[in-house]
Amino acid sequence: MRLMMLGFNHRTAPLELREALAFDGDQAAGAIHALREAYPASECILLSTCNRTELYVARPIHDPPTIEELRTFIVQRTGAKADDVQSASIHREQEAAATHLFRVSAGLDSMVLGEPQVLGQVKRAYELADQCDAVGPVLHRLFQGAITASKNVRNQTGIDQGRTSVSSVAVAFARNIFDHFGDKTVVAIGAGEMVKAALASLRRESPRRLLLINRTHQRAIDLAQQLELTGEQHGARAWEDMDSLLVEADILVSCTGANEPIVTAERFKPLLKKRRGRPLFMLDLALPRDLDPQIGTLRNVYLYNLDDLQQAVESTESGRRELVDECEQLLQGHIDRCMGEIRHRDVGRLVKQLRQRLHDIAQEEQGRTAKKLAALNGHSTEQALQDLLAQHNHRVVNKILHLPLSQLDRTDPDASLGFYAAALRRLFDLHDQADMPADESDPV
Amino acid sequence: MPDPATSIPLILATLASGVVFILAARRVRRPSDNAAPLWPLHAILGAITLLCAGLFAYRIAVVHKAWVPVQAHVDGLLLIALLLAPAILYIQTRPRLFGLSLFAMPLLSLILAWGVCATLWTYRPFQLDSFAPAWSVFHLAVTYFGLLGCGLGAAGGAMYLFVQGRLKSKAGLGQVNPMASLETLETLIVRAATLGFVLLTLSLISGLIMVTQSDQATSLGSDWWGSPKVWLAGSAWVVYALLINVRSFSTFRGRRAAWLAIAGLVLVLATYGAVEAIDRPEPDASDPLSLETNPEEAD
Repeated sequence: MRLMMLGFNHRTAPLELREALAFDGDQAAGAIHALREAYPASECILLSTCNRTELYVARPIHDPPTIEELRTFIVQRTGAKADDVQSASIHREQEAAATHLFRVSAGLDSMVLGEPQVLGQVKRAYELADQCDAVGPVLHRLFQGAITASKNVRNQTGIDQGRTSVSSVAVAFARNIFDHFGDKTVVAIGAGEMVKAALASLRRESPRRLLLINRTHQRAIDLAQQLELTGEQHGARAWEDMDSLLVEADILVSCTGANEPIVTAERFKPLLKKRRGRPLFMLDLALPRDLDPQIGTLRNVYLYNLDDLQQAVESTESGRRELVDECEQLLQGHIDRCMGEIRHRDVGRLVKQLRQRLHDIAQEEQGRTAKKLAALNGHSTEQALQDLLAQHNHRVVNKILHLPLSQLDRTDPDASLGFYAAALRRLFDLHDQADMPADESDPV
Repeated sequence: MPDPATSIPLILATLASGVVFILAARRVRRPSDNAAPLWPLHAILGAITLLCAGLFAYRIAVVHKAWVPVQAHVDGLLLIALLLAPAILYIQTRPRLFGLSLFAMPLLSLILAWGVCATLWTYRPFQLDSFAPAWSVFHLAVTYFGLLGCGLGAAGGAMYLFVQGRLKSKAGLGQVNPMASLETLETLIVRAATLGFVLLTLSLISGLIMVTQSDQATSLGSDWWGSPKVWLAGSAWVVYALLINVRSFSTFRGRRAAWLAIAGLVLVLATYGAVEAIDRPEPDASDPLSLETNPEEAD
């Protein structure tokens, strides 16, 4: 099997393109089904987070899809411009693809180095593809290996300690505006992983009120219960209360899967007067963006999005950068083991196929020889039996060697003679011609 | 009279305050410099404080040889510098207010440079022995302390606008923030303005008592209500009256409060400048109650 990865991330693609290439849960499931339909022999997993969209595919070596076909598939599914996709995409194959996934899972490729959220996102992408029946033995082993390796590396190096999450950087941003949080109202829109992490970080600052809303109210209630946000001051509110919460909020965090901005400038402007000049810190963690960028130009509103966070964290991770080498060394061990197992499994299947093929030849020849033996009808001499056995062996050997030796046909311009010759010598422990007896005939 | 023993140390203090300003500006412009030790800034500010304290003591003990500490305009400026320098030193050590020193240092430099002018070219002693010396001293003291409050408020306002501009333009994202938060600055603006307002109010009241209780016409003339000094001082007071109520008037929060704090200081300084610039009748030399020689009363 051949492992491939085609991806776009915060380093290669601008925010607008990442928005266009983002897949929500349903879209991702649809894309996986479509890819499986087009390439049934392939395994695939689609990882789509705020900062990256990556397609992992394992296919039989000589089967499609190629990287170009995957690019075309992405263009067709997202409607993004082919040129943009071409220029912003990265692709990796085999070990490089595995290394990329392991680095992503460990947070080494994240906007905030070592951030823990990406691990959960990798897990969910794997589970979704598994539910779509698109994960085979190669990607199972690869993703399970990546998840395990990520946990080990984080535990051993502590790279996820300190201000490593987007949410903790968000708190640092808020501190530029607010001195303390004890009299502040925090409102979160959405009920996903990012919102959960942001609320967990902000909760440590002990805000006066911590409220969350979501289109599916039950999910907001569930998240509030998970975070133990109880009482009158905290908890879930109805989606219809959005406007009143926009007035009450001092800090607003949004991360939903909406395809259009939830809060537009037109919607927000009339609420400004009711806010009576109180500053509002808004953090848009969603992709596509939930908050109209025009809101950031309004008075006393400080709006930041994912690109701003990226810019912020790039200069704050020098300390954790020192751990990257250590992490990569640890990861390399996991990658080697994982790829070794995948290759070993491939070789195992190959040996099984080879054994089956040889058995088939042997069975066929055994049948022919048995018929000839029966034809002798009991009048066989020892010499006749020996001739029969010699013919049997000769046919079996010829049949077995026919295909591999035909690759050594010097008239075939594509034949990699040197490679095959070396492989044969190594596999069958053969010596160079100079070492062979002079009367040995050329088997070819 | 011009006194080299006063003016030379004042010049040195002015130059030193300029050095502190440059060092503070470098730390703000290049966050990588934040790793550099702060002690040079602290040491220079400490030296300025000691220099001002020494000069103030020298002028009381050697120049004036009297218990009344503020007998000339330069003494008042020295007193403000003596209060402002340790205040900045304190601010410098407060992480929540870090960066404010950058905006307060120009004020200190201005006051010290003003002191240099007041010793070399515009030296005029107060005539404290002529009329109600206790009221005069009180009037001058609250005026100077009020000016200090206004100055800190304006420095906070300037810093508020700077920090807000950086946040809006998203400049220096992720760099170690050398600046106080907007909320802290707004609190500082309101508190400093409150202090300035209270003291300026006392200054106005004491000034009014002085002009109304005097049996003879003061430098403001008999029609003192129409004098620019009174009108401008009144305007400055109104600005500060608005400013300290910013919490009540929501529209005067944040950026507007910052501008108002700066406008308040500008108005206070303009009051002095305008009063000095407007031609007034020469005071009667025989009038011992004349306040003509009290330009620092520009409240």
